[in-house]
Amino acid sequence: MKRYAKITPEGNRDQLFEECEARNRTEDTLTKFFRGRGYHEVHTPTLEFYDVFASDSYGMPLESVYKLTDHKGRLMVLRPDCTAPIARMVATRLKDAALPLRMYYRQEVYRVNPSMAGRSDQVAQTGVELIGASGKRADLEVIALAAESIQACGVQDFTLEIGHAGFFRELAANLELDEEGRERIRSLIEAKNYAALNDILDQMEDSPSVQIMRALPRLFGGGEVFGQLESMGGDQMDGSIAYLKELYESLKGLGLEGRVLIDLGLVHQNDYYTGVIFRGYMKGYGDVVLSGGRYDRLMQEFGDPLPATGFGINVDSLVRAKLERQEYCPPKAPDVLVHGLPGYEIQALRHLDDLVNQGLHGENSVFQEEGEALAYAKRQGISRVDVVGDTVRTIEIGEGEAQ
Amino acid sequence: MRPLRIALTKGRLEKDTVKMFQRMGMDCTALIDKGRKLILPVGDGSLEAVLSKAPDVITYVQHGVCDFGVVGKDVIIEHPGSFYEVMDLGFGKCRFALAGPKGKPFYGGYQSKTIATKYPNVARTFFESKGMDVNIIKIEGSVELAPLLGLADAIVDIVETGSTLRENGLEVIEDIIPVSARLIVNVASMKLRKREIEHLLAKMEQAKEENK
Repeated sequence: MKRYAKITPEGNRDQLFEECEARNRTEDTLTKFFRGRGYHEVHTPTLEFYDVFASDSYGMPLESVYKLTDHKGRLMVLRPDCTAPIARMVATRLKDAALPLRMYYRQEVYRVNPSMAGRSDQVAQTGVELIGASGKRADLEVIALAAESIQACGVQDFTLEIGHAGFFRELAANLELDEEGRERIRSLIEAKNYAALNDILDQMEDSPSVQIMRALPRLFGGGEVFGQLESMGGDQMDGSIAYLKELYESLKGLGLEGRVLIDLGLVHQNDYYTGVIFRGYMKGYGDVVLSGGRYDRLMQEFGDPLPATGFGINVDSLVRAKLERQEYCPPKAPDVLVHGLPGYEIQALRHLDDLVNQGLHGENSVFQEEGEALAYAKRQGISRVDVVGDTVRTIEIGEGEAQ
Repeated sequence: MRPLRIALTKGRLEKDTVKMFQRMGMDCTALIDKGRKLILPVGDGSLEAVLSKAPDVITYVQHGVCDFGVVGKDVIIEHPGSFYEVMDLGFGKCRFALAGPKGKPFYGGYQSKTIATKYPNVARTFFESKGMDVNIIKIEGSVELAPLLGLADAIVDIVETGSTLRENGLEVIEDIIPVSARLIVNVASMKLRKREIEHLLAKMEQAKEENK
């Protein structure tokens, strides 16, 4: 019995007409933006070996990837992320290439979400990777690219938050935490769980680092965050904060003030990110729309230690916003229906080509009888029918008659 | 801009939250005399509330259709997700506990144990942390019944006073984790409407302190 023949697997769906158009346009806008700034397209396989994503610093949980095996029984996954495959590719195929490498991608990622949670397991992602460049210029380029490309898609009301992965690491080092304790504190900061964080920190000897750690979930906002940190004695914290401040000032110069927030409590689960990290949100969408940062250790996992940074945009979220704003409509009726009389089928197709070359949208009639073609045109709201025989006869179908 | 929207867990947590809002000087008339409306204005119109079952509070907040939610820690542990858990509201206190027939030792022996619970994730995580491999049976109604009927060796459940356990000849073997009501916030809302949210959080924090 073909019980599942008529449904799509949970977390997946069909995309029709205007949704496809919105997606193509969005990706076209983004990729044009990237191409104009020296980025080139790459495409990696949908299927990869699990090992690509199983590196120590990366740790994609086994539960959240779609798995299958190849004919030798090796574990494979549907690509859950675009960055690791590109790192793999660069470390092998582009090992001796001139640096830096600027690449962009437009492809899907697949993740297993909890059942019935209303999440998509297949997400269209478009993004860039800048590999082989460290330092402020590269970070600035990528963050500016993120902000500007998302604005190029017509998203006005959005916020970009930036943080630094090194900051928490330095702070944790001051507290002499073991791995487990560090991870517990990190997850509480990530969840902005003030109450539980305080419970743990209360058991520690008070120090500026403990006080900053305590305040970390609340340390987000505009430039005033740096002042708050300084007042807690965190100004001599070292490099990561000074760097973040410098970056923030530069981003203000780019006209992004008010759009960029600092979040010192931005601490990701894995050690994937090593430097500046950023995430984007937009009004009307309850989740992260854009996410990226510097990942200087990932390339090393593939035997080619190179600094790298990049970001990915969740294209589906932008598409949803565009569809909600009704920027795209269901397909409209074509301008003209071309009906060939018996024996004039080829001439009819040629005539249709001519019309299309003139910039019209046309359809070929597949009906035997002219009367059927006219009835179809009326039903579909097509206002003109060209009947092709020895000559072409144009029939206008009035507004009153149509529909 | 639409008012900030809060999802409240129906029942006791809802009533405690209303009391808190009232201490904050907010008009909760619509929330008390609900009528048939599903989205209810609170205070001066800058906040509105919806009432729902506990796991739905998390769903609404995760998707961002509600900016905040008031939900028990028990539900958060059972349905973990990505949202900010910003405040322990200090009410709705109880705990998760492992309980079994009185006087019968639970640990020991090499037979694998069977656990009945409404909270399979909580039970699984608890026994994983102990390195114990157990069978978990999900029960929807009165979990206390399972050991009495001989279906399970013990239960993992919410315990408030322990009187239900005692009446059924059960006792707490071990406390698992304390539970209370939490305020959760959608990640995007926290960033996009920071000022309004922090203002409300500060007021709630104050109301909580006053009630201590």
